[in-house]
Amino acid sequence: MRKALLLAACSAALAISGCSNDGGSGGSDANVTNTEYPEQVFWGDTHLHTDNSIDAFGFGTRLDAEAALRFAKGEEVTASKGAKAKLSRPLDFLVIADHSDAVGATKALYEAPRIALLGNEFLLRWHDMMHESDEGSLAVTAELIDGAAAGTLPEGLFDPEESAERIMSLWTEHGETLDEYNEPGKFTAFHGFEYTPMPGGDNLHRVVMFRDGADKTSTMLPFASFDAGDPEQLWAYMGAYEKSTGGKVLAIPHNSNVSNGRMFAMNKLDGSPIDEAYIKTRALREPIVEVTQIKGDSESHPFLSPNDEFANYGDAGWDKCNLSCGKDMPPESYGGSYAREALKRGLEFTQKMGANPFKFGMIGSTDSHTSLATADENNFFGKHSGNEINNKDRALAPQNLGTRKGRFGWNYLSSGYAAVWATSNTREAIFDAMMRREVYATTGPRMQVRFFGGFDFAEGDTGDLVKTGYSKGVPMGGDLTGGDGKAPTFLVSALMDPESANLDRIQVVKGWVDADGNSQEKIYNVSWSSPDSRKVGADGKLAAVGNTVDLAKGTWENNIGAPELVTWWQDPDFDATQNAFYYVRVLEIPTPTWPVYDALKFGLTLPDDVIKIQQERAYSSPIWYTPAAATS
Amino acid sequence: MKLLKEPLVHFLGGALLVFAFFWATGTNRDPADYTISISETDVARLQAGWVQNFRRVPTQDELDSLIDQEIKEEIYYREALRLGLDRNDPLIRRRLFTKMRFLDNQEGAEDNPSDAILQKWLDDNPDKYALSSTYDLEQIYLGRNTEQSIPAMLDRLNQGTVNPDTIRQAISLPTKLTQADAFAITRQFGEKFAAGLNGLAIGQWQGPIESGFGQHLAKVTSKTPGKSPALDDVRQAVTNDWRAAQTAALEEAAFDEYRAQYDIEVTGRE
Repeated sequence: MRKALLLAACSAALAISGCSNDGGSGGSDANVTNTEYPEQVFWGDTHLHTDNSIDAFGFGTRLDAEAALRFAKGEEVTASKGAKAKLSRPLDFLVIADHSDAVGATKALYEAPRIALLGNEFLLRWHDMMHESDEGSLAVTAELIDGAAAGTLPEGLFDPEESAERIMSLWTEHGETLDEYNEPGKFTAFHGFEYTPMPGGDNLHRVVMFRDGADKTSTMLPFASFDAGDPEQLWAYMGAYEKSTGGKVLAIPHNSNVSNGRMFAMNKLDGSPIDEAYIKTRALREPIVEVTQIKGDSESHPFLSPNDEFANYGDAGWDKCNLSCGKDMPPESYGGSYAREALKRGLEFTQKMGANPFKFGMIGSTDSHTSLATADENNFFGKHSGNEINNKDRALAPQNLGTRKGRFGWNYLSSGYAAVWATSNTREAIFDAMMRREVYATTGPRMQVRFFGGFDFAEGDTGDLVKTGYSKGVPMGGDLTGGDGKAPTFLVSALMDPESANLDRIQVVKGWVDADGNSQEKIYNVSWSSPDSRKVGADGKLAAVGNTVDLAKGTWENNIGAPELVTWWQDPDFDATQNAFYYVRVLEIPTPTWPVYDALKFGLTLPDDVIKIQQERAYSSPIWYTPAAATS
Repeated sequence: MKLLKEPLVHFLGGALLVFAFFWATGTNRDPADYTISISETDVARLQAGWVQNFRRVPTQDELDSLIDQEIKEEIYYREALRLGLDRNDPLIRRRLFTKMRFLDNQEGAEDNPSDAILQKWLDDNPDKYALSSTYDLEQIYLGRNTEQSIPAMLDRLNQGTVNPDTIRQAISLPTKLTQADAFAITRQFGEKFAAGLNGLAIGQWQGPIESGFGQHLAKVTSKTPGKSPALDDVRQAVTNDWRAAQTAALEEAAFDEYRAQYDIEVTGRE
């Protein structure tokens, strides 16, 4: 904050002496000891917006990166709309991912002297609207998002070249703040941004995160999408960054659910067929996908998985129209919008072309635009500052992101976090774990999930599950190849979050390609609570765990479900000639959703269609099986 | 000469000079208020604004009209101020508010605090940086509802007549912790359990201690009280916190100084 002001003053006065930067760094990763194998799971949010994001500022967020970092580390801060905010437990790492397009522009526009804008009626109008009222500020943001989606913003507005100097100074100063807050071994502050193309309102957004410090990241500007909306251009930028700095960078697609089938399309953005170079580049640059966040859950959809009674989580309100809600999305488009289907498409590519463009692990994150990385149902600070925790109407009000069609406050989830099995809490170790996909997604609760695959696990190996898992197999995100026809075996465990709910069940989701080249899926219940009384019926469905939620109090009882589930499992339907993947889904027992807590606090009556009870969950990264002859 | 340091004396002296000037020149207007000079920098600024909008340099005619427009605007601006049109305008009020806050933040801020300043901050806020007590402990997980008598179990454990492994329920939580601080314990077992360890006597099995998982018995084998860290160990955190507090304090102090000059009445507020 202080530095930001100083920098602004310095650049205004141009190189007054005494304006130099003293750098500063919170220490080096090299001083932290790495464990032999990943012993700990580290919790973080890879997708947080601060007042430097044009929409976040427009929506009223006034907390900067420093406030976001302090909050993530567990400190209490005052939210933009006045409520005190604190996490129940600190996070281990944070990626501040402000939109690279016109980063800092609404803040700069707001703070600009009015006289400087007199020649530009367009900006002047926005400037005055923002100063007039909170509603005016919201309206500017809505116009901005609509205009960007429809391509109707004035030519040259936020032109990257013209604002390069402003952005470079912001980016450099931001990087220094991150380095100051990065404490290897204790708390990791990653450099990153969000790349935000949305052709026709179809969401193709990616979070981009770096393994490096400001010495490297400050050598290039964050890559904007206004003039470069094809993700292949982003990958080229990433390649150029790595080449020129020797650093490392990865991209995380998200909100495929509002991409209108384009996030995991079977062809390139320009419609041409996917070729080998594309597959290789995409798999290299995008090792993980954010499948659950505030704007819904992208793991699965009942249209694609009619036999999965849990497939509809976080779909309501998000499956009808694309991000801007300017286009309806027909169910036929869902194949390119949901992660499970994308993983299946990936297998088809492996079969046809010997390589897989959609070979990704899964994480959750917030996409919060409040600078507050909250993911607990009873501590939800909203998608943006117009909807913070002290807004009584937020659960039931239509959301004017773009248009008023389709979405209501309660459709937004309080999700989610990224869980990373790493050898230390450092940039290097966490980034490398993401590259090898040893990560999983949760919708908020911090359950500990282990998943190992191998050909030689025995039932007794659950006794020392972790050590045996690493010594005789591969962890989540890994590959199994060959196996001499033996069906793969798995070790799975899930330990509840001690501050949350008991566990209902562990499922393995299998995808494979059949003899006709078509991908298939099946869900296996592999471990569940009260196995003596709960049985799998003739339809293959496991008896439900029950429900202890008291909506009148906003509570539940941990007298159903189990604190921990552990099992060994072998694929009973294995065909050694078929490409396959396996991932784990862990379900908690039913608990109340955030609108229930709002209703109790504000005395609201929630209409019937509002989802009040849910089963929070975790999705592991897959383990892929490939027949020996093929390559993955 | 104490009188010379009094602000009131300065003020009256200044007023007298201004009065003397008007009296001597025989006018009632300050010529500075009616002078407009357009400097080279102003012209450059106008030119740059034009280039940004139209992507070319303005012709001489265009530049002249820009300058005339600037003069016109400035005259209207000053006349508007004389008429008091800036009053009661929420936009202007808000802008001036923002500007004042920005200004106040700048004054007196120090960017490179000395070690002495940081050490003082550390000494003044010991709780924020105190390393937590560390524990060596063993724990036995009993599940959610144990049917056995806990006092009897504790007796047998403390007499050494039973092996802890025969009592514990299986769960993938560590049975032994070494040099674990509050953060590490909370992360594994939750807040309730960490709080339950406070005040446990050293060296014997005690319980039950509740956690989110259920009930536990615990034996603290040693406890090392937390101490204050050296500045070098927490320098970055201290610097960050000091700077954030400094920014907030400066803003508050600047405001307090202004506020002290006002008598404020709010109907209904004591």
